[in-house]
Amino acid sequence: MAAVLAASFLAAPAAAAGEPAPVPGDERAVTRHLAHGDIAAGDPDMEAVLAHGRMLFEARFTVEDGAGRPAATAAEIPTRRRTGDQPLYLRTSGPDATACAGCHNQPDTGGAGDFVANAFVAPQDIEWDFESVTPDLSMERGTTHMFGSGLLELVAREMTADLHALRAEALAEARATGAPASRDLVTKGVDFGTITATPDGYVDVGAVEGVHPDLIVKPFGQKASSISLRRFTVTAYNSHHGMQPVERFGARWTGTDDFDEDGRTAELTEGDITAAVLWQASLPPPGRTAPDHPVLREAARRGEAVFAEIGCASCHRPTLPLDSLVFTEPGSFNPAGTLRAGEAAPVSLDLAGRFEGLLERDAEGRWLVPAFTDLKRHVIADAEDAFFANELITQDFVPRDRFRTAPLWGVGSTAPYGHRGDLTTLAGSIGHHAGDARPAREAFEALSDADRGALIEFLETLTIDPAAGAGSGGPAAAPVEVTPRRQAAARP
Amino acid sequence: MSRAPRLAATLAVGLLAGLAGAGPASALDVPRFVDEAAVAGIEHRYTGGWEHFVGGGVAAFDCSGDGFPELYFAGGTDPAALYLNRSRPGRPFDFAEVGDTPLDLTGVTGAYPLDVDGDGVQDLIVLRVGGNAVFRGLGGCRFELANEVWRFEPGDEWSTAASAIWEAEARWPTIAIGNYVDRRAPGAPFGTCHDNHLHRPDGEDGWGPRRLLRPGYCALSMLFSDWNRDGVPDLRVSNDRQYYRGGEEQLWRLPPGASPTLYSRAQGWRELKIWGMGIAAQDLTGDGYPEYFLTSMADNKLQTLAREEGFGAVGSELAPAYEDIAFRLGATVHRPYVDGETMPSTAWHAEFADVNNDGFPDLFVAKGNVEGMVDFARRDPNNLLIGGPDLEFVEGAPQAGVVTFARARGAVATDLDLDGLVDLVVVNREAPAEVWRNLGAGGTVPDGPRAMGNWVGLRLEQKGPNRHAIGAWVEVRAGAHVQRREITVGGGHASGRAGWIHLGVGTAERVEVRVQWPDGQWGPWVRAFANHFMLIRRLEERPVYWFPETAPVGGQGAGQVTAVPDEE
Repeated sequence: MAAVLAASFLAAPAAAAGEPAPVPGDERAVTRHLAHGDIAAGDPDMEAVLAHGRMLFEARFTVEDGAGRPAATAAEIPTRRRTGDQPLYLRTSGPDATACAGCHNQPDTGGAGDFVANAFVAPQDIEWDFESVTPDLSMERGTTHMFGSGLLELVAREMTADLHALRAEALAEARATGAPASRDLVTKGVDFGTITATPDGYVDVGAVEGVHPDLIVKPFGQKASSISLRRFTVTAYNSHHGMQPVERFGARWTGTDDFDEDGRTAELTEGDITAAVLWQASLPPPGRTAPDHPVLREAARRGEAVFAEIGCASCHRPTLPLDSLVFTEPGSFNPAGTLRAGEAAPVSLDLAGRFEGLLERDAEGRWLVPAFTDLKRHVIADAEDAFFANELITQDFVPRDRFRTAPLWGVGSTAPYGHRGDLTTLAGSIGHHAGDARPAREAFEALSDADRGALIEFLETLTIDPAAGAGSGGPAAAPVEVTPRRQAAARP
Repeated sequence: MSRAPRLAATLAVGLLAGLAGAGPASALDVPRFVDEAAVAGIEHRYTGGWEHFVGGGVAAFDCSGDGFPELYFAGGTDPAALYLNRSRPGRPFDFAEVGDTPLDLTGVTGAYPLDVDGDGVQDLIVLRVGGNAVFRGLGGCRFELANEVWRFEPGDEWSTAASAIWEAEARWPTIAIGNYVDRRAPGAPFGTCHDNHLHRPDGEDGWGPRRLLRPGYCALSMLFSDWNRDGVPDLRVSNDRQYYRGGEEQLWRLPPGASPTLYSRAQGWRELKIWGMGIAAQDLTGDGYPEYFLTSMADNKLQTLAREEGFGAVGSELAPAYEDIAFRLGATVHRPYVDGETMPSTAWHAEFADVNNDGFPDLFVAKGNVEGMVDFARRDPNNLLIGGPDLEFVEGAPQAGVVTFARARGAVATDLDLDGLVDLVVVNREAPAEVWRNLGAGGTVPDGPRAMGNWVGLRLEQKGPNRHAIGAWVEVRAGAHVQRREITVGGGHASGRAGWIHLGVGTAERVEVRVQWPDGQWGPWVRAFANHFMLIRRLEERPVYWFPETAPVGGQGAGQVTAVPDEE
């Protein structure tokens, strides 16, 4: 009966504007799917695409849409479940949410989440469900915000291109000279170590730091292990909602149109994912909100200087330069199972117009992305303080004690802190920096009370304004009052 | 005692962990191929009379040291030819014939590359009608005949098959040579199959006198393979029933230091009589044991260890009792798929390779009428069977664009331009060889290739004589899905390859690789990133990444070269 009903929905005549006519009792959250080719052809237009993307981010998917994955696990690679029946939702191994915005909602859709919204990320090979939150089964992750994520991906793409060019240079020189050739892997001022190529074409990556040996800068995930918004989004739709995007879970890779055996096919099309990615990419970068009180305002000003003086800025780089603000989808470095450049017509979203006035430029005309990160992994724990190395399994080949330098933009709007979301204060979070970050942490602890307070006040100014620019994906919103974290806690 | 005994298990158990039970394959990718032999500058035919109705092999291996595989074609009555590979990723194929080489013999039926002396340079076993040869690679695609210095007895038979392995503790390889009809015997050809030969090492730098592998039943393919994973590879021989009397398929047991013996009925070996032409091995079911695809006339065989109660084992030993699952998996390919042809096919070379990188092995089968056999299909195109998660194969040749009607014999499936896509080389009798460039999901040459699934290219290396670990098993784990590949020399139809071990890994961007080295020792799980070539060295926990030269060599299609830069 349900299938017949669904079929009738799908066959419902389209309205003049391309929207299907509504059907009473239709409990699908998504009544229209987009084709990537149509998006590339400009129909629907970009604003409609972004609105569709936002809708997909906010939609509370139902079983009529394909929510749930009774035969599949949360694994990144299409993987059959080896255990038996499980409930539609399971707070641990998932699916664990009906909507992206169910967790990503502070201070607005696309934002971060409270501790209650933590996710339990499964290893890529998981074939079973787990009903425990112990760190030997999964990686517990606080919900991060997606504001400015398009810029992060653009920066990462340019960094990757630089690193690959350096590798190609080293190889060419080694082959031409017959002697080993080394290159310092420095891009946008960030040092990823050294490679040495030999004349026979091998590359020694033993001295590479903070990035995988493939030299692809992966800007997403606490382990800096997700290449693109698209890769992350496809994985998340399956993991958290049981909504299986065709581009990874469809017949091309699994041999079946209904890999999760929930009776629904084509749950999310390539066009849907494109829209969801573009909408996330369009979210404006977090900015700054100066405190009203002159004492706090002056403290914040002083705190920014302290932030640099004690070495925080060596990893939490205030800005990373970016040559182009044109976000083209699909991206250049996606692996198979995520729509790749060359597999579909490119769709470009020029963020320059949308982020007018939100980004500064350097003397070379490059955009400055104020993310307060270097997009590099560092050792963040040591024997003396292993707080951040709490997990018992490695994620994506990254050792337990290493994490991406957390982008601090928006940190003033997104408490709690830490990859597990279990630190309630910024000072507490700084106080657990160890490993490579120990010198900065000790310098922080050696500061005067006033300077420590100033640094915290500075961090509090790094806030999210969901309505900044024109990237909200819906009708132009009226400017809204910026809500710093402290006030956010009091919101209804 | 078998190291990993496996008693009566059902076929479903262990099938492709992770994707087992998936629904019917409906839209798995079929890559597009284009024949670039002419563009590449390769013009070669396998020619000759009755003695060259069989054979017609090709060897793919890197002799220039740049990582790209060269091609050595058997020529039959025409001289064999070595082509230097000057191709580069993303560009049309580019080869140049290497002149002034001792390899350009006549009477060559096939060849297998092998680093005999462990010096890091591939050597070459050349099969001939009358006098086989082992050539020592000197680097830079220079070779010297090593029969004398390595004490290799060339014989004077009509040789059509070969395989090689390092036996336990040996510092020199053992080579098996398969022979066809004893053309000088009274009453030839019927019932006059020649015996085969075994060349075992004598010391550390050569072979002793060759020994007979008797009886011989007109072998057209041989393969050393550790079918039961007991650490001692045995020799499977596929024989042509056209000429033998009382013969069958064979499995020789080679205990170290002892004489070879045939597995018997009592030990579980079942009689199988086919027009055996080629052997391809691959663990398809995921149970750790290889399946064997055997080419023949009419229906081909796909053998898996028998699972019926009472057959899987004899005592505590795993028994070599095989059952045929070709029909169940859609791999009989017993007649052409075009023209409504009802006459049966004639299959020769077979090779498993993941041409679409989806993580599931595909199967290429070269076909062609022997010469003028009217009871068999005259228009008999090759098969490109696309494998899927349910293990079933679906014909993909028409969609791939590889349908031709030349009489194919030998072939190799290997990545010629190192773009991560497996290409195909097909040797045809009395017709030009085909060199198929895999364009992946790309449709046309101007657009260039387009990637399909993710992949890894592996090279194994260990210290000692068996440098490239012939006899090792490689496991590649992508998520919950483990693929296994046995590293062998032999099989196919008079054709072999050495070099990068290619595995598609589907949507996985990271994999783990481990090796069971030829002496049985397991290496660690090595973490690796997909879409790269990498060297796995024994005992090392990290791979060494390798990148192909991308700069073009200049002089596209420049004909013949005599000097080859040696990058070793």
